[in-house]
Amino acid sequence: MADTLLASITLDGAITFAKGYGLNFSFLKSAYERDMWLEGFRTTLVLIAVTIPVSLAGGILLAGCLTAKNRLLSLPARLFVELTRNTPTLVQLVCAFLGLNMLISDALGGAGRNPFGAFFWVVTVVGMHGAAYHAEALRAGIEAVPDTMREAARSLGFGRLEILRWVELPLALRIALPAIFNNLVNIVKLTTVASAVAVGEITYASIMIWTQRDIVVELMIVLLLFFSAINLALSQVGFWLERRLRTPGLGPTGQGL
Amino acid sequence: MKLFRLAAAASLAALMSGAIAGTAQADATLDRIKQRGSLIAGVILSGAPFGYVDAKSQEQKGFNIDLATELARGLGVKLETVTVTPPNRVQFLQQGKVDLLIANMSWTEERAEMLDFVPTAFERSGGIALGRRGTPVKDWPDLKGRTVCLSQGANFTKPLAEEIGAKIKGFPSQPDSLLALKGGQCDAAVHTGATLRVMLLDHPEDWKDYEILTPTDLLPSLNVIWVRKGETDARDALDGIMRRLHGSGWIIDAAERNRLAVTPYFLETRDANKGR
Repeated sequence: MADTLLASITLDGAITFAKGYGLNFSFLKSAYERDMWLEGFRTTLVLIAVTIPVSLAGGILLAGCLTAKNRLLSLPARLFVELTRNTPTLVQLVCAFLGLNMLISDALGGAGRNPFGAFFWVVTVVGMHGAAYHAEALRAGIEAVPDTMREAARSLGFGRLEILRWVELPLALRIALPAIFNNLVNIVKLTTVASAVAVGEITYASIMIWTQRDIVVELMIVLLLFFSAINLALSQVGFWLERRLRTPGLGPTGQGL
Repeated sequence: MKLFRLAAAASLAALMSGAIAGTAQADATLDRIKQRGSLIAGVILSGAPFGYVDAKSQEQKGFNIDLATELARGLGVKLETVTVTPPNRVQFLQQGKVDLLIANMSWTEERAEMLDFVPTAFERSGGIALGRRGTPVKDWPDLKGRTVCLSQGANFTKPLAEEIGAKIKGFPSQPDSLLALKGGQCDAAVHTGATLRVMLLDHPEDWKDYEILTPTDLLPSLNVIWVRKGETDARDALDGIMRRLHGSGWIIDAAERNRLAVTPYFLETRDANKGR
């Protein structure tokens, strides 16, 4: 009781405070809109937390295939990377969700039996889009590994996969780190395409509220701050990792803030 | 105090578009329209009967376009149209990219605090729910706990979520929402009755498995023309024209021409403005 009273006082206080600066946050008093908005923040964080590992796993797999000598592995991977990288994510998402998903529903005999929802398609499409970029970054890293190291590994009796796992990838990862974190920052921003298929992340929630109340500036400020904060934190992790994994004489080291 | 908001708006606009948009033009729209020799109307082209692009001629057609044309004629200027969508229409108006909005934007108290509107509305309608034939949904309360697809910005969102207790999925436009309905993402799609009814008439094959589930309209509200706040000259001039269009029966003709159902609202408004 006292807690809810306190919360309402501080909420009202915050709304009044913002109003003093010409910003109208009164939508926070509507339980429906407030809950949708807060849920939006949570959903964005979950989306990011799921999509980043998916993209990294996909990227490593694709990079391995891209650098393989076997054309049966490298050609499909190359085709996939080109297709994914050269078409807009939003178009891919709409095609997957409104097109492919419908075909799957039909094949399974009704939407009720289709286990895939909008969230799944966002993670898949954004994750694979990120994977294509990671793969190219990692390929650059793998190709930058000096041939002498590969030779040394071969002379120790390492097979192709073992060289990839124990020699190429650890070094490639260090070289590719700046590019990979660049991609991760992009993936965080790309999660906003989920708003086009009604996944309730923060852009979607904001659009739903500002089309009702026409308070674009207020919500845009929060959106920009929110994504800036996430990406700033993410890039600091990147710089930290660069320093931490530094191999003297090989690869870059960023300074961070 | 207002300054901060303006500064924030301006810097955001600069951030996003690389150009600072002129935000606060005072009460000068009517003069500018006359000077420019054209009326720039923001219209929504999301489907018949209100606004659509004709597949054959590639021309913009529909009630919104007819009305905009007639308003420009009434002001003695040419018409230019700019296509807007629910998420951007208010920004287009406030940044002066359009002089007015004829954009399926019904009157609400919140909007009336930010914008001015032409008091004589051009239409009054509400939402209806479209769903698969044979669903147990027979009326609005049956949508409780079920998923409803609609357009982002639809003013049915709040009553559906708060009063009926439906789960809302808002899509960027009506076609997206209807595709999601067909894809089984929702139990019903709720849109303006006038547009859904014409769609069912025009494309009976595509929609043979679907029917209108609700016997009554949800939240019937006035569809008005919006202008920037404080632009009373433009508002008054447009209101005079609107009253003449109602009184002369032009609005009803335009409605019939565009297959917009002639509701009692049209007849009452015509009778109230007869002889103008």
